[in-house]
Amino acid sequence: MESWHVPEDDLTGYAEGSLAAPRLWSTETHLAGCAHCRERLNTAVGTAAVDAGWARLDAELDAPRPGPVESLLVRLGVADHTARLLAATPVLRRAWLGAVVLTLLVAVAAGHAMRGGSALMMLLATAPLLPLAGVAVSFGPGLDPTYEMAVVAPMHTFRLLMLRTVAVLTTTTTLSALASLALPSFGLAALGWLLPALALTALGLALMPRLGPVVAPSVVAVAWLTAVSLGGLWTGPTAAPFTTAGQCALAAIAVAATAAVLIARDRFDSSRHMNARVRISAGRL
Amino acid sequence: MTAPPASRTAPPTVSVSGLTLRYRGTVALDDVSFRLGEGVTGLLGPNGAGKTTLLRILATATPPDRGALTVLGNDPSTVAGRQAVRRTLGYLPQSPGFHPGFTAFEFVDYVAILKELTDRRQRHQEVRRRLDDVGLADARGKRIKALSGGMRQRVALAAALVGDPSFVVLDEPTVGLDPEQRMRFRELIAEAGQGRTVLLSTHQTEDVAMLCHRVVVLDRGRIRFDGTPAELTAAAEGRVWSSDAKAQGALAGWRTGTGEFRNLGDPPGGAAILEPTLEDGYLMAIDGAAEGAMA
Repeated sequence: MESWHVPEDDLTGYAEGSLAAPRLWSTETHLAGCAHCRERLNTAVGTAAVDAGWARLDAELDAPRPGPVESLLVRLGVADHTARLLAATPVLRRAWLGAVVLTLLVAVAAGHAMRGGSALMMLLATAPLLPLAGVAVSFGPGLDPTYEMAVVAPMHTFRLLMLRTVAVLTTTTTLSALASLALPSFGLAALGWLLPALALTALGLALMPRLGPVVAPSVVAVAWLTAVSLGGLWTGPTAAPFTTAGQCALAAIAVAATAAVLIARDRFDSSRHMNARVRISAGRL
Repeated sequence: MTAPPASRTAPPTVSVSGLTLRYRGTVALDDVSFRLGEGVTGLLGPNGAGKTTLLRILATATPPDRGALTVLGNDPSTVAGRQAVRRTLGYLPQSPGFHPGFTAFEFVDYVAILKELTDRRQRHQEVRRRLDDVGLADARGKRIKALSGGMRQRVALAAALVGDPSFVVLDEPTVGLDPEQRMRFRELIAEAGQGRTVLLSTHQTEDVAMLCHRVVVLDRGRIRFDGTPAELTAAAEGRVWSSDAKAQGALAGWRTGTGEFRNLGDPPGGAAILEPTLEDGYLMAIDGAAEGAMA
């Protein structure tokens, strides 16, 4: 039995969590070795503090376990709630990722089966459409099951849409870049899809408050396929959109459309097209 | 039936005036005006009456073509006003969707993030409290796809109530629930109505009879009745009678379990008048409207 024991005030302060160092350290060290003081600590801790502590612990027991994507984002410095929203983007589901991989595989395989410059065209024409489709899938009514709740949440629709667009662009760009590696003989030309991908995505977003989250990307997709066809789809990387002039034009479109999106950001919350009436079947999961 | 709260005389928390919305060429809402105060108000009407359209406008999911709406002094037609309304709003849509694979806790947590509860610890405690409130303390960690329809509906209610909104919009939350689940859900709605303004859309008169201090009847986009459930019942006073055969000229008439017919409408002289129910009052409100429309 020790002759010295923690003074009452310190013990109460420790129990309430208000005791500061260095008294905190000395109290903690003493408590570890003194059963008598630990016993006194039991009575010093109020039931309210115990209940609050238990409630905190109990809440954390069922709290979501961050998945690998979410953990990585938090480690990279993204706020935990933002990481959660990013990780919950519908396009990060296996079904969507599977579809993207399959599309790219088909594009590359079809490219390999063809000869000459047209081998690359399948990838260059297809890859820019993937992020566009991803944005439609991740925010389209009926495609995002929580759309109706998200639209009336105080978080700006624009912020949620941007977060999801970032998630879409990151995944599709990474996967498309991997697909480009399968066509090494074309060098940098195999990355010709990157600027169109950014331009089409920005253009799709810019038209969204006017046309809605599904129609806008669809219109842009049709316009792209038309442009690529008219621009000489089968002539290979020399087709208009992939020449230096074409790429510069696409970069300009990307910048202009991004500016238009930023200027019209409040319209994402107020546009009737963004909030078109949707019906989602009750059992849908 | 719950007694009307004292706050009925207090200033309204929600005020709607002249709301009109056309949807694909038809008038979904036609000059709808009413005010809501604290407690549970029932919005009663047949399918296709415009209930969901009205609730979506109140929940700021869609703007009206015409009319004014004020929620706790905020006007959702402005950017700042809409944000202010959304911060005080809890919304349970007609068919709430869930992310696949989310647990009950994860789903309510996700909605809490959308409601700007960014402090992780406080948010988790709030989520836990709301799930406990709706009786899902033991199912917090269960995946939503493994829950029954009634439990899913309770998860959606917990999500609507997370962040302690003062105006709660519930769109037909008792549809598809069995009688026991429905009763349990009514208890939860009654609890949610304490200190909040709750608008409950339903096509079941029992929901209104058991929960609401006030009822608004909507049919074909127009308000047909606005008052207490007792007043709605009283609207059918002297207009329900029994007869041995189906009465000619009755708005509605059906053979009851006793073999007698229960008729609704203008009774013939000397008819045996019956005590009306809330359902009779409701049928009178919408059938009376039909008569008016035909005239």
